[in-house]
Amino acid sequence: MSYILQSIFNGLLAGCIYALFAMGLTMVYRVLNFVNFAHGELIMWGAYLLYLFMGDPFHFPLYVALIPALGFTILLGLGMDWIVFKPLRRTNRLTLLIAALGISFFLRNGAQLFWGAELRTYGFEIKRGWRLFHISMTANQMAIILATLGCIIIVYLLLYRSIIGKAMRAVSDNLELARVTGINAKKTIRFTWIISSALACVGGILLALDTNLQPGMGMINLVKAFAAILLGGVGNVWGALWGGIFIGLAENLSVLFISTGYKDSIAFGMMVLLLLLRPRVLYGSQE
Amino acid sequence: MDLFLHLWIMIFIYSIFAMSLNLEMGYTGLFNFGHIAFFGIGAYTSALLTLHQIPFALAFVVALVASGFFGFLLSIPSLRLRGDYFGIATLGFGEILRMVFQNEVWLTKGPMGLPGIPKPILFSYRFATLPQYLLLTMGLTIVTFLILRIIIRSPLGRTLRGIREDEIVLMALGKNAFHFKIKSVVIGSVFAGLAGVLWTHYTTFISPGDFTLSETILVLLIVVLGGKGTEWGPLMGAFVLIFFQESLRFLKLPTEWGRYLAPLQQMIFGGLLIFLMIYRPEGLIREKGEGR
Repeated sequence: MSYILQSIFNGLLAGCIYALFAMGLTMVYRVLNFVNFAHGELIMWGAYLLYLFMGDPFHFPLYVALIPALGFTILLGLGMDWIVFKPLRRTNRLTLLIAALGISFFLRNGAQLFWGAELRTYGFEIKRGWRLFHISMTANQMAIILATLGCIIIVYLLLYRSIIGKAMRAVSDNLELARVTGINAKKTIRFTWIISSALACVGGILLALDTNLQPGMGMINLVKAFAAILLGGVGNVWGALWGGIFIGLAENLSVLFISTGYKDSIAFGMMVLLLLLRPRVLYGSQE
Repeated sequence: MDLFLHLWIMIFIYSIFAMSLNLEMGYTGLFNFGHIAFFGIGAYTSALLTLHQIPFALAFVVALVASGFFGFLLSIPSLRLRGDYFGIATLGFGEILRMVFQNEVWLTKGPMGLPGIPKPILFSYRFATLPQYLLLTMGLTIVTFLILRIIIRSPLGRTLRGIREDEIVLMALGKNAFHFKIKSVVIGSVFAGLAGVLWTHYTTFISPGDFTLSETILVLLIVVLGGKGTEWGPLMGAFVLIFFQESLRFLKLPTEWGRYLAPLQQMIFGGLLIFLMIYRPEGLIREKGEGR
């Protein structure tokens, strides 16, 4: 019984992180209407940038290192939009997607060039957790939950309680109409990239805190984030949140039935099931 | 001389692989980002069967059928998706298939890989030496080229191109776009499987690490560089890129560079993909009728 409770707790924990990835991915999708294949690399670079600033030449403490890590990930997000996606905004989708895949591959191997392919951790010593209702949790894991809650509140405030958030929602509903009413679309798109990259960075760091760092971590989490946004309804930020938590739970509970080697394939399996059972979910948001 | 033969064998294998992707991506407009999966299915099927003393000719046929069958299975759920979703679904499929190769140790020996895959024997003729193997791959490349050329120039090919340009119009003309897209993926998967079979019996050792996203990117780059939606584009792209990749291997660079060289080369491929998309999305050879 306590094993199941523990799996549920771990699932929620992973779900929180996936939710952050999925929310960022779906936001860019809403505004620019394409799946950013390089979103996984923002996750991975966010985590590695923190590693960089906590590591050799800098030796910043975690809270200080967070600031440049966040800043540079946002720059990376804005940079990929400015250099690659902006010139391609008016071309066909295939061109855009291949370019996004190219960025993803470029950044992934860039990380591998600097840090190598081996697993790394932030090097915190593992502290003994405390037990609550037969569930053991560590300080890191509490931090993950609190950070996710914090991010969700910030996203809510930005989207629904600020002018720029209103503009973002307007642009995603109808770009032309938003332009006509005097909304600065460029500024809004920039803002979207900032939130999306920041969420990816925070999520990546939390994931690395909970597990480890590895150049391949971006790609696999892109698939999970995508499964989460499909579950929640494409373009729906809160749907992405629930989708992410659901994927996290499903993944960790599946370990009770199947080999852990396949844990990462659960998200894909759910995606296929969803498509077979409820393809209409997607047709609704096709255009 | 051996280097030269090796180079051409690789160019031909990747040409077949690229031509199969070109049918799906170039002509039908499907974003298959997990094409390596079918290459892998072909490779593993043929390797496992021949290692269990099944004659090559039979293994060859079974491998192609298996690739096509998995292409069919994957396409049913994922072709319901719009372009970018299909891309992610295939990407995910590629990653998961690699997990299967890695985890089903009883079948694939997992990360240790399968050594000692026999050279192909067809009609009691053994393709063991490099020149013999080159003839085999060249012959099959020509066969693939001709078959795909017939398909592309047939009404089926026109329908596929129609789907790429405007699916709604094709549906209004009474074509079942979903069925045609499945056909495209199945045919593409069969030829990807063929490339996989040829590759596996050439290297005689395979492991899950050979079927990663990097291979998909390479073949994608081949198609895009050569010119997607053209008959000669994939051959051209394969020639340029494989020549570049394989000759790096024979430059006798110090081994300690390897740690940096591999990611650097991949970065160049990624960067080239971005560059091509921004400045020359049509590639080296331009599709007829696209020259505007």
